[in-house]
Parts: sequence; C-alpha cells; structure tokens
Amino acid sequence: MHFVIAFIAAIALMTADHYGHLMGNLRSALLTTITPIEQIASLPKQIYQWTTTDFTSINALEIENQKLKTEILLLKAKQQQFINLELEVDRLESLLGTTGKITNQSVQIATITYYSSNPISQFLTVNRGYLNGISKQQTVIDSEGIMGQITATTPTSSRVLLITDPDHQIPVRIQRTGQRGILRGTGQDTTKLDFIPKNSAVKKGDLLESSGLGGLFPEGYPVAIVTQVDRLGDNPYLDVTARPIAQLHRSRKVLIISKEPLPTEPKEVANGE
Amino acid sequence: MASNFMNTGSSQARWLILFSYIIALSFDTMALLENATVIIPPISLMVLLYWSAHFLNKTHLISAFILGLLADSLYQTTLGAHALVFSVLVFLMLRHRLRFKAYPVWRQAFSIGVYMMFYQILNYIIFSPVLDSNDIIQFWSMPAIAIIIWPLLSLIFRRITTNVVKG
Repeated sequence: MHFVIAFIAAIALMTADHYGHLMGNLRSALLTTITPIEQIASLPKQIYQWTTTDFTSINALEIENQKLKTEILLLKAKQQQFINLELEVDRLESLLGTTGKITNQSVQIATITYYSSNPISQFLTVNRGYLNGISKQQTVIDSEGIMGQITATTPTSSRVLLITDPDHQIPVRIQRTGQRGILRGTGQDTTKLDFIPKNSAVKKGDLLESSGLGGLFPEGYPVAIVTQVDRLGDNPYLDVTARPIAQLHRSRKVLIISKEPLPTEPKEVANGE
Repeated sequence: MASNFMNTGSSQARWLILFSYIIALSFDTMALLENATVIIPPISLMVLLYWSAHFLNKTHLISAFILGLLADSLYQTTLGAHALVFSVLVFLMLRHRLRFKAYPVWRQAFSIGVYMMFYQILNYIIFSPVLDSNDIIQFWSMPAIAIIIWPLLSLIFRRITTNVVKG
C-alpha cells in the first residue's frame, strides 16, 4: 500500500515538475537541505587547496601579481576606447531613431562553491542566494562568455544550469552571418547548434553569440565557437558541434547579470551633449 | 537488548539511521564533485537497502521517497524521478528481505549487484544520458563496484549496530 502511494506521488511530482514547473518552492526547500551537505563534501578539496596554496612561493605570487597588473592596464586602456564607442553608438542611434542597443547591466560577483559535470546534469553552485537579490533565470557569465542561467535559489546559494547541460537550450546567432539557431547542451562539455539548414554558410571557427530572442539571455554575449560541421545524409539540417567559450570548469569567480538594466541612459546622453 | 534495538522506534536506532543517511549523502555529493557519479554507486541507496533489510518492522518507503527527492535536487533531475527509482528498489528489497538477510555476505553483495544493475537500467531509461565510449564502460561497470563496496559497508554497519546495542 505504501509503495502504491509512493509510486503515485513520484509520478505526480514528475509530471508537475516537468510540465508545470510548479515545484519551485519544494525544490528550493530541498536544495536548502542539501546545501550544508554540499559544503561538508567540498571541505576535503578546499583543505587540500588551502594547504597547497600556502606553500606556493612568494616569487610565484609576485609574478602573478605582475601579470594581473599588466592585464588590468590593458583592460583599462580598452575600457577607455569602449566608453568612447558607447557614446558614439548612442549618438548615431539617436540620429537614426533606433532604441539603445548597448545597455549597462549591473552584475554581482559570486564564487563557485560546488559543481557537477556528469552526462545527466551539468551545473554549478554559487555563493549568492535570494537574500542577495538573486532570482531565477538570471544569466551567469565569466570573463569570456555566457556560462548558464540560475535555475534554483536558496537563501545563501544558487544553482546555475550550464549551457552544456542536456536540458539547456539558448537562442544564439552566428556572429559572421547573423543566422539564428538554438544551441543545445549535450552533457559532454560540448554543445550542438540545431536548426541550421543545409545550405547555410556556417563554418568551423564561427563565433556564436546570444541573440536575445526569448527575452531570457541578454543580447550579444559570446557563447560558443563552432568546432565541427557535418552533413548527415538526407537530414535537411546540418549537424553543428560547438565548444563553449566560457571556462565552465576553470573559472572560480562568475558574474550574475541582473535582469533590469541600470538606469544610466539619461546621464550618458547628458555626457554626450 | 538486541531485540529492543531492532525496533526502529528506539531513538538510538532512529538517530543512527538519520546520521548514516547524511553521511551517505555527503559521500554521493563528493562523488559528484569528483565526476565519479557514473562509476561510483549511490551510497545513500545502498545504505537504504541495508536498513530496509535490517529493520523488518518498517517498510522504509517514506525514507526512500525523501532520499530520492534529495537525490533529485542533488543531481538536478526532474523532481520525483530518483524518488520513484528508490521506492521501486526498496519495494523489491521488501519482497525478498527475509531471504536476503539469511544470505552470507558475498551472496548479499551479488544480490546488491543485481539491484544496482536494475538501478542503472532504470537510470538509462528515465534520464537517457549521452555517454561516450569511455563513460559507457564506467556506467555499466557500476554494479561491480557496488559488489566490492557492499561487504565493507555491511561490516561497518554491523560493527556500529553491535556497539550501539552494547552501549
């Protein structure tokens, strides 16, 4: 009897979760229960890392410091140009009468505390939760490109579904040709670009950027690079494999983009004038 | 004394079970962190099977359901999927736990191997993971690892339960 109840409850839960996404609160409660266990489980690795970093020589740190300083200098130089360009685009857009394309979005920096990359699920846990103002479906990026989106939050941490997860899809366009497609995760650290017809001009090395369609992901962020294009017999679509640009398994810090852009537009126009 | 311990109502036994589940879940979480989930069997499921064969006065289906839900949130799968698999496996164990309890350890281990094979088959059907050639070998050799782990697990738990009874 118990078994029948458990069986029916499990099936009902699966249906509710799969079709209705009604189970957000339950999932968040379960995740909150799991969080301390995750922290305990990642302790041995952290202790190992602490002990190994304690023994790195001051010399190595100095070199790293130098490298970082140079990088900051280069980035700052680029930033100057970028501000200039931003104003230029703003002016041109106001001449053309189109809406602003470049939006300043506020970001939160988060640290990765836990990760999983197996064929069934690929996700990260970061140390920012809904007490920090994080909500579902916010985009997560690193310094290179889009990593994924927030799928569940607890008070102090959140789950990030990576773009390589088999359940994840993101609307993209090929930067060179502007052609749109859907990028789907495979669960094997790569992604597949779907719905690209046979006669399209996609080739190896093409950059895929988020198209912003669907309204979930912000537009124009790099997502993946095409690594392989295959024609499959009678199939009307190409089989396109792409490698994520973001360092999904190497980044330590990530940026969580807020959904609403910062209200900085009027100030910029004033500066422009 | 021993018969008193066999009653899951005794608070010592209940705490021991709860604690063992937490430890087992942390092991599962560690396996996930090391990308070894494909080859390391779910320890929480093995502990669950051990207790459901050990304490005969309970069905353990509620524990199976809750552990399954926790596994679902841990592995980021559809809520209820692991709960279903865990409940089915515990139900199968309930059917033949009297015989199972009388088996010598090596035979218990092989039965657990069969259970884990069943778990992997259900896993394959429900989640249909994309496996490359290396993963496929690991995925289907998981029951063998379970066979190796089981004697160790049952030894540890036998030690702990007898100590608790003595204490």
